[in-house]
Amino acid sequence: MAKVSVLNVAVLENPSPFHSPFRFEISFECNEALADDLEWKIIYVGSAESEEFDQILDSVLVGPVPAGRHMFVFQADAPNPSLIPETDAVGVTVVLITCTYHEQEFIRVGYYVNNEYPNAELRENPPQKPDFSQLQRNILASNPRVTRFHINWDNHTDRLEAMDNQDLSLSSGLPLSCTPIKGLGLPGCIPGLLPENSMDCI
Amino acid sequence: MKLLKPTWVNHNGKPIFSVDIHPDGTKFATGGQGQDSGKVVIWNMSPVLQEDDEKDENIPKMLCQMDNHLACVNCVRWSNSGMYLASGGDDKLIMVWKRATYIGPSTVFGSSGKLANVEQWRCVSILRSHSGDVMDVAWSPHDAWLASCSVDNTVVIWNAVKFPEILATLRGHSGLVKGLTWDPVGKYIASQADDRSLKVWRTLDWQLETSITKPFDECGGTTHVLRLSWSPDGHYLVSAHAMNNSGPTAQIIEREGWKTNMDFVGHRKAVTVVKFNPKIFKKKQKNGSSAKPSCPYCCCAVGSKDRSLSVWLTCLKRPLVVIHELFDKSIMDISWTLNGLGILVCSMDGSVAFLDFSQDELGDPLSEEEKSRIHQSTYGKSLAIMTEAQLSTAVIENPEMLKYQRRQQQQLDQKSASARETGSATSVAVNGESLEDIRKNLLKKQVETRTADGRRRITPLCIAQLDTGDFSTAFFNSIPLSGSLAGTMLSSHSGSQLLPLDSSTPNSFGVSKPSTEQIAAAGSKPTGESVGKDSVTATSTPTASSPSVLTTPSKIEPMKAFDSRFTERSKATSGTPVLTSVTPTAVERLKEQNLVVKEIRSRDLLESSSDSDDKVPVAKPSSLSKRKLELEAETVEKKKKGRPRKDSRLMPVSLSVQSPASVTAEKDALCLSAPALALKLPIPGPQRAFTLQVSSDPSMYIEVENEVTAVGGVKLSRLKCNREGKEWETVLTSRILTAAGSCDVVCVACEKRTLSVFSACGRRLLPPILLPSPISTLHCTGTYVMALTAAATLSVWDVHKQVLVVKEESLHSILAGSDMTVSQILLTQHGIPVMNLSDGKAYCFNPSLSTWNLISDKQDSLAQCADFRSSLPSQDAMLCSGPLAIIQGRTSNSGRQAARLFSMPHVVQQETTLAYLENQVAAALSLQSSHEYRHWLLIYARYLVNEGFEFRLRELCKDLLGPVHGSTGSQWESTVVVGALTGHMEVEVEVDAINQNAVTFFPSRWYCPHPIPA
Repeated sequence: MAKVSVLNVAVLENPSPFHSPFRFEISFECNEALADDLEWKIIYVGSAESEEFDQILDSVLVGPVPAGRHMFVFQADAPNPSLIPETDAVGVTVVLITCTYHEQEFIRVGYYVNNEYPNAELRENPPQKPDFSQLQRNILASNPRVTRFHINWDNHTDRLEAMDNQDLSLSSGLPLSCTPIKGLGLPGCIPGLLPENSMDCI
Repeated sequence: MKLLKPTWVNHNGKPIFSVDIHPDGTKFATGGQGQDSGKVVIWNMSPVLQEDDEKDENIPKMLCQMDNHLACVNCVRWSNSGMYLASGGDDKLIMVWKRATYIGPSTVFGSSGKLANVEQWRCVSILRSHSGDVMDVAWSPHDAWLASCSVDNTVVIWNAVKFPEILATLRGHSGLVKGLTWDPVGKYIASQADDRSLKVWRTLDWQLETSITKPFDECGGTTHVLRLSWSPDGHYLVSAHAMNNSGPTAQIIEREGWKTNMDFVGHRKAVTVVKFNPKIFKKKQKNGSSAKPSCPYCCCAVGSKDRSLSVWLTCLKRPLVVIHELFDKSIMDISWTLNGLGILVCSMDGSVAFLDFSQDELGDPLSEEEKSRIHQSTYGKSLAIMTEAQLSTAVIENPEMLKYQRRQQQQLDQKSASARETGSATSVAVNGESLEDIRKNLLKKQVETRTADGRRRITPLCIAQLDTGDFSTAFFNSIPLSGSLAGTMLSSHSGSQLLPLDSSTPNSFGVSKPSTEQIAAAGSKPTGESVGKDSVTATSTPTASSPSVLTTPSKIEPMKAFDSRFTERSKATSGTPVLTSVTPTAVERLKEQNLVVKEIRSRDLLESSSDSDDKVPVAKPSSLSKRKLELEAETVEKKKKGRPRKDSRLMPVSLSVQSPASVTAEKDALCLSAPALALKLPIPGPQRAFTLQVSSDPSMYIEVENEVTAVGGVKLSRLKCNREGKEWETVLTSRILTAAGSCDVVCVACEKRTLSVFSACGRRLLPPILLPSPISTLHCTGTYVMALTAAATLSVWDVHKQVLVVKEESLHSILAGSDMTVSQILLTQHGIPVMNLSDGKAYCFNPSLSTWNLISDKQDSLAQCADFRSSLPSQDAMLCSGPLAIIQGRTSNSGRQAARLFSMPHVVQQETTLAYLENQVAAALSLQSSHEYRHWLLIYARYLVNEGFEFRLRELCKDLLGPVHGSTGSQWESTVVVGALTGHMEVEVEVDAINQNAVTFFPSRWYCPHPIPA
């Protein structure tokens, strides 16, 4: 069993303007003191078409982690609009929160994010070039998709051979068939999504 | 005895190696293989005990599951106090679990609100010492010690008051140690190993008392476990797998001189587990009988690799009951409820069975007080056998008791001290912030630093420590050292558990400021207090009462069974296997019975109709009807959901038509005339408009208007459907001749021989179906659509699953020959068409057999002669509604009345009644009417019991129990259609009823020989 289990992720200041920072209040429980820090990341999926538009908004170390329940606020700046394909700026995309221990990802929380113009007129006739200053970001906070992975929590033994996906039948939030976006709770997409990191544990 | 296999207790098909019922009887734990780890699950007991609770979705079945063990869990054991659970597994670890009190039910983040763990059980200690798989663990009486044994050939005794302290490691076995049991008075512990020995160790100095090898000489190391057990009176120790004369046995070892003269014989393969009932019993005193004080006796369950379970009373020579083929694979563990009447058995096949005995079967259990007096009179005073009240006044006879008293005193002091501490802490907490306040300012207050390589590092805010309870130190054994904060992060685990962040002291983890809410949650339970206290109070309080008055016979009845002279085992074992055998309690009868058996035949099933008079009449209807043969079909249940129709089981086809014109048409359709040769059924004529009531609750009706609008010369017909005010409509290009609907579908048949099907909301489900000939009658029930064409062919489709149920079946066979008409048509909820003919016969079509089956005949003389009044459950149960009742309704009532008027020989009456009841059962089954099937099956079974039809009863039970489970089970399930038995399998083997009729079932092989030493 995982030493760390995420109890809750609260999405703060939602909805908010596109340029305001993301803020997640994360509570987790640790049942045995951790020798090393946890690394948390927020990844913004710029385009459903390709992971090359994924932006790692921020990554922080969290520690020390004694046994018990803990919480912290993870704040990260808004994504860089210039890296987002214009066609994908408005509409539904995904933001991911992942946590790794010893460079092994053990949990991935995905949220749908809807970027739209609150202004009715703009919504009817969106400008050719997306106007990010007018966009509002709305995170579907009620429906996180959580994927958990079995990792090796002790450093002295061998690394696990394969990353074992344990969806724990938690993917009931949304039926997979209506998932328009890659990588959300779909374990098959993970290596592609996080090239520099999640591969480490395989 | 009742037998139940709760299918919901499983590890997703993975083996279950261990089961243990919590001392308070409200829950039980299972241990075994998990996904890719070991798994411990804590289950709620009430859904096993109470059928209502099982059905109630609000009552959780699983309370908690822990997959912390890295490999398969071989053993789970509750402490006697019930506060702790110990589990041991292939990962060489023993984990000790305690319920976290301040954390309520929790959901798993992201799991869409479903309760994951209703109770929170946390690992409070991990015991590491074994170098191999841990096979068995056992708490000593009074929970002072925990013993564990392993394939590393050792037994380790842990100090349960001070985990993880090891008191002793018992070395001496030269093979894998696979079972442990404590002497109930705490003087010995016994272990059994693959080295063909059973060793008894003294608890005084942890040295070997004796090693018993003789009964195990022939044993091979073939069992996964060797769970032995000590009788609650302490007199006998019963081993697992032993051999006698190359046959598997459970060896009985007498405490007195460790003699091994007796054994339990009968299992065909090695005995894996023996478990004594925790209670000592005495014979039930019958009213009026001479009060001859009988000696108390014990009860023991034996499970084997041969997949069968036997339960023995030490006052009987033969097993009380033997249940064969209870599982697909070896039995792995057995646990009795504390009241001694229930037993849970688990198997390698991943399933669990529950047996429920009555006091009539086992006897009257002695109270704890009486038990303790037996112990005292036999063994003198000792720690394990004294209640707390007695201890405080007892003269100290051994050093162990002195230690115990000291410890009690210390704990008392500690408790008051910590209580004072908590008191003072409360005042501090007022200054603390609530969780809400913390959250508001969390971002501002949280400590953020930069690491050497410039990365952001956040120190998380500790909002609560785990309530590791009394073992909290266990977590802090290894101090994590990370960065500069390492020194300050060790939070104080003595006083408080909640540490609010203080902005002025960045590294505030050393400072403890408990908040009010935390203190409240922690309640009166001060931390830092040791286990012993709690456990001791818990165990001893219930029995602390006046110790005199009772007149218990202090001498335990010696195992009568072993006086038996039936010693030639080879002859006995030649019998063929038996399915279920139940012995009556009368010992005398046994002998007679056996003689008869030997003379007559060596068959498996023995029937004897002798001495049938001496038993109390039983077979109480209440117990019968209580949980027997549960036939509520789940499928029906499901269909009913979201459809609050009262008569949802089926819908008579007689549609009430409002438009006057269509009344005639409808009438024609129903009264189908059957011309002799070419059957031609009437066709409803086209009408301008008609309305059709589908159901009244919810109110739903269909309106049809033909040729209402003309678009570009094409005339369209309109179909309107109104359901509780919500309306939809659609148009068709052809004139609509007839319509039908249910709550799920609406269908219409048009002039052009097409049939169109719409969903409840008007969505077309299928392209128009072309019928082979014009429509005569159309009908819907649920998602089934039935079309009867003018050429007298009948088709039924399930439009939801889009499958054919009945394909153009001709009515020739049932209508041919005479000028009969169809007086009523039904389509049951399961899509079974039923034709009620004018000559009083009713046929249903069985799709799987492709036959028309006669299910009712008004002229049937059987119905009039059958008399099964005595077997009717109760008045209200008689009112059983369903398709069968609708078809037969009037006949059966008058029939029973008439039966009384005929004077006929009893035998004839019996035969007709049986024939009638069997007809009814079969008819209900072929109609797939679960409710009625259950109803008639119950009456039938009861009738069989009342009239003593043993063979049929036996076959019936066998059919119902089926293979009970597993591979072949699926096939069987399909025959019992109705889902009910499958989901919740339970058959009462009515020991009482069988006793009453003096029907004894004896396998000839089961006995306890008593080889007399020469």
